[in-house]
Order: sequence, then C-alpha cells, then structure tokens
Amino acid sequence: MDQIKKELKQPYTEYTLDMFLRSAGKDHAEIHQFNRWREEVIKAGKYTFEIPHLYAQKSEIEVQRITGEKYNLINFASYNYLGYSYHPEVLSSAKEALDTYGLGATGSPLLNGTFNLHKIFERKLAEYFGLEGYGVSLFSSGYGANIGVISAYIHKGEHVVLDRSSHASLFDGALLSQGKITLFKHNDIEHLEKVLKRISHENSRVLICTEGVYSADGDYGKVKEIVQVAKRYDAKVLVDEAHSLLLAGSNGKGVAEEQGVLEDVDLIIGTFSKSFAGVGGCLYAKEEIINYINYYARSRVFSCAIDPAVTGGLIKALELAGGSDGKIKRVKIKKNAKYFRSKLFGKVDIGTSETWIIPVIYGHERITIPLSDFLHKEGVDISLMMFPAVPKNKSRLRVFVTSEHSKEHMDKGADAILKAAKKFGFLLDD
Amino acid sequence: MTKRENIDLLVWNFDFALSTFYEIESWQVEKLLPPRIIPMEVTPGVALINITVFNFPEGGLGKLPEFQELILSIIVLPDLSRDVPKFAMYVISLSSTCQEHLDHSSDYYKLPSFKKLSFGNIDKKNINVEFGDSDGKILTMQNCNPQANYRNEKRYFQAFTTKNEVIYVADIYIRAKLFDHQQSGYTGKLFNHPFFKQLEVEDTEPVSYLQMIAAPNVLGQQIYYRPKKFI
Ligand SMILES: Cc1ncc(COP(=O)(O)O)c(C=O)c1O
Repeated sequence: MDQIKKELKQPYTEYTLDMFLRSAGKDHAEIHQFNRWREEVIKAGKYTFEIPHLYAQKSEIEVQRITGEKYNLINFASYNYLGYSYHPEVLSSAKEALDTYGLGATGSPLLNGTFNLHKIFERKLAEYFGLEGYGVSLFSSGYGANIGVISAYIHKGEHVVLDRSSHASLFDGALLSQGKITLFKHNDIEHLEKVLKRISHENSRVLICTEGVYSADGDYGKVKEIVQVAKRYDAKVLVDEAHSLLLAGSNGKGVAEEQGVLEDVDLIIGTFSKSFAGVGGCLYAKEEIINYINYYARSRVFSCAIDPAVTGGLIKALELAGGSDGKIKRVKIKKNAKYFRSKLFGKVDIGTSETWIIPVIYGHERITIPLSDFLHKEGVDISLMMFPAVPKNKSRLRVFVTSEHSKEHMDKGADAILKAAKKFGFLLDD
Repeated sequence: MTKRENIDLLVWNFDFALSTFYEIESWQVEKLLPPRIIPMEVTPGVALINITVFNFPEGGLGKLPEFQELILSIIVLPDLSRDVPKFAMYVISLSSTCQEHLDHSSDYYKLPSFKKLSFGNIDKKNINVEFGDSDGKILTMQNCNPQANYRNEKRYFQAFTTKNEVIYVADIYIRAKLFDHQQSGYTGKLFNHPFFKQLEVEDTEPVSYLQMIAAPNVLGQQIYYRPKKFI
C-alpha cells in the first residue's frame, strides 16, 4: 500500500480526461490545461498512451516510450483475436492486391472507389452469413459503419434505444441521426421493455441497439430476448458484432447466430479491425436496405473506400475463418479465455465477463497512470479504461485474450495482474 | 456578519455533508440555463443535477446558530481558465433552516435563495436526511453504500449563478475526509416541489450517478470565494 500512497501524491493522478473536455470560456483553456497535464505525466516518465509498437501485433511485442525506453511485453491490449494481422497467407493476399490495384482506392465507393476486389469481398461475406436476399455494405471503419447506418436509418424525431454500456460509435450514430436517445440499463430486458412501453405509443420508428459482446464488460448481449421484446413493440434491432464476428456462434457468424436469431435481427454491424485484423466495417442486412444505405450513409458516401491491400487481406482472413483454421481457433480462443478467467476469478473483480474480453475492475481512476506504468515494468501490455468511458470507480484493465496466446503467456499475464492488484489494493480478499 | 462583507472568501466549518448526483434528461436542464452555460453530459442526452446537504454546527460561520443547507444545481462545463475543478455547478435553488444564512447567500454569493426550510432532519449515524418546507416534503436522501472508505482530500469546485441577468462564478475548495462511490441502490426520493423549479423529478425517479460523502461528525471546511462576474 506504500506504493499507492506515494503514487497518489502525484498531482497528475487527480485528473481524468473528462475534466478537460471543454471549458465554458471563449479562450482555449481546455487545450492549455490538458497539455499541462500531459506534460506532467510525460515529465514523470509515466506516459504510456499512443505508444509506438516496433513490430506486428503478435503475442509478444516491443514498444518504445516517448522517453526512448524500449519494453518487451506480452500483448493483451490488441484485439487481433485470431492472429490474422500477421498470418502469412493473409499477408501474401494483401501484397498481391497491392501490386494489382495500388495503394489507395482513391474514391468514394459510390462513385469511383469500388474495385472488383470489394465486390468479391461483399459477395463472400454475404455467402458466409448465408441468408437468402441479404447483402453487405462496406465501410472504411467499424465506427463509420455505426454512425453511417444509424444516421441513415433513423431520422429526426424517431427513437434510438441504447444499452447504457454501448460503444461510443453507437452513441455518435444516434446523436448524428438527431433521433431521440433513450438508454436502458445494461442487459436489463425488463428495463428495456419499460422504455419501449413509454416511447412506442408515438407513431415513429424505434431502433434498439445492442452489442454481440460488450466491449467494456466482456459479456454477451441478450440478443434473443431483445429481438423478442422488439417484436412486441414493433421496434427494429441493430446488433454490433464488433467483438464477436468470426468468434461467436458455431460458424463464427456472431452472437446472433449463437443465440439462433440471425434472421430476426434487422441490421448486423461488423468491424474488420478486430478478428479480421485489418481495418473497415460492414452492414449485413436485407438487400433493399443495403442498396439504400449505400446511397444515404454519409460516412460511406463521403469517405474513401477500404484500400485494396487491406481488402485482399480481409478476403483471405474470411476464407481462413470460414474453414478449418477458424474452427480450430474459435475452440482455442474460448479455451484460452476460460483459462485466463479462471486464473483471476475470485481474486480480482472481473465483472460479468464471459468471453475473450476480461475486464479487471480496479476502481479508482487515480491509479490508472501508475498502474499502466507498473504493468509495463512487469512485462505485460494491457489497456486501461477510465471514466468517462466507464463509470467512475469502475475503471478497469481490459484484457484481450487471443487464440494465439500460450499457457505461459497467460500465466505471466495473470501473475502480473495479481501482483498489481496486491500493490495497488484491488485484490478481492485484501 | 457585516464585518466580513469586504473580504473575499469565507471559511465554513461543517460536520455533515451528503451530495448526490442524479441523471436527468439534458432537455430538462437546458431550459433552466442561460445561453452561455452548457450542461455536462455523462452520455449524450443525459445530464446531471446535484443535490447537496450540509450541516453547519453552531459557530460554523461566525455567530450563526446550527443550521442545515440544501442546494440544487446543474452540473455544467467548467471555466478551465481558472483551474480544473472536480465539477462545476450552476446553482438553481438554495434553501436553509436559517433565514439569515439565506439572506446572506443571496446578497454575498448571488445565490437563488429559496424560502426557509421548515424542517431539516439529519441522521448522521445512518447518513440519511429529510427536508421540507411549508409546501411539503422536498426530499429524502441517503447513502446507499455501506462500505465507506474516507480519505483526507482537498477538492476544487466552481459555482456559477445568475443574479439580475448577470452570470457569476465562484471558486470553492472543500477540505474534508471524503468518500465517493457509484454503487447503485436506493438513495432516497425526490418529491414534486417548487424547490426543483421546473424539473420533473418525482415521476421520472432520476437514478443516482455518484455520491460524495463527508465523514459525519468530523469537521470539514468549505472555503468559498466571493463570486466574480463571468465574462
Ligand atoms: C463495439 C464496437 N463497435 C464499433 C467499434 C469501432 O470499430 P473500428 O475500430 O473498426 O472503427 C469498436 C471498436 O473499438 C467497438 O468496440
């Protein structure tokens, strides 16, 4: 506990990022104050944000801090769930596409930025999901997919109903739509029903948004139950499968597949930055919706198409994930996640985690910076989430387990977390 | 108290403070704010109101007797050119069991003094309170986290207020043994009452977002500066 007392005396631990969000005055005080804080953290040698990685996002990485110090770390901070960002077949497919199509798409997908490679990828994705009459719309990021789809689908005066734990891109999509935003308590179907009862008397569209796997909590969205309630109130359902596509469900189609409701979900969002290990996003929906979104989702129309090399790599990643490689890796990631959770369960607070995302709630945001520094020194890289991304006093480490971690990696990772928990006072029975 | 009027800060000693932040729809609070003051949202569409209760023991401020204070404010964007506060509040209602205190708050602090409270019951042991006036009950409020872990803290806040269409801002420092938590649970009940101005609180049952509690019966200090015009 001495460590914590000493660290908490540092003035930079008193601040959280929300405090510099905006100032009421017309000068740029928030910019000035934020920079002052950042400089203090740097001066103390504790700055671990935006840390440059020197090689690929493998299970073992090398990073270099702003001070020039290099660290060899076990990587639990990357959502490269199936290791495809450095898979040799994915890379050679990307290189081939690069040689054929060049560096950038140099245009919006609606106008001149679409290559036959994009069309192949769309078709393969649609075949992978497999529903008759459905199609795919590609976006240059998962964030872009959420903001583009929600704001095209919902208009002023209509309703977006969001789980409280929703990702920022769902909130931002709702804001951009100018619809009325209503929140329900995380995964609380009874509360969702109360909300629907209250708002659905108005004759306007209601879109309920959930995530397949919640990115901050690591639990499954209750997609099946949401679909059932939605039907009763004539509401539509969007499922963001960012952290579940290629991972959940017997064929990796996501949580909607796992819970047997793929056909009942109106809009499925995927990202290519996680298990696909590239970049980009998509909507999977009925073809007529896809056609409309292609023209009216502004983040798609007014932004460049995914670059050819990445698209080439994504096609190969999909092929691998849809075959025996995917089957083996899905079993492996679930086994690894179960093992890692068992190493932590009962010793630290892992919240409601039941997947490959394992939060370790350490509570007070003031220890965030010293804790991140400590973990580096113990040889592990784990990202930290603090207020306002998560509630105050619910600041957390967020461990991403991949299919590529070995038992040794996980043992070392869990040991480092438990050592930190003891030092910083978040061990459960301390 | 008149002798103090020319000084720029007052130090208030308190022996009880319970503060609850409640979530509320942003549109509800926006209508109560002047144009330049913007609510801080915890998520889009969700703003915060704060209700704080203090008990000032006899002599806590000069010659005043023991009294209780009840303050309602909207959490707003701070003025970071002054410094970085824990929170900035725009005070919309202030009540007290002491008329002299109410008059002084209106005059010196430019606060929107509401009418005198007819009762302010504070149960320090169980950390729960109950307030009301001649119009009826205003609220009950209680700590919903039994595991308090108090720490000596010095915290900085900003208080905005409007008087005669002029916006003021004041710096406030709290030095006390404090504990914050975000445990969900029953934090009491807010009743429909003119104290809440046009906020609809009874039917919407706002959920508690955060509680800040000072260790009861331990003397804490509120160092409250004279407000300045906000330009
Ligand atoms: C739930 C969820 N949705 C969407 C996104 C955005 O995806 P991308 O990083 O591909 O833009 C993320 C990324 O962190 C996410 O966690």
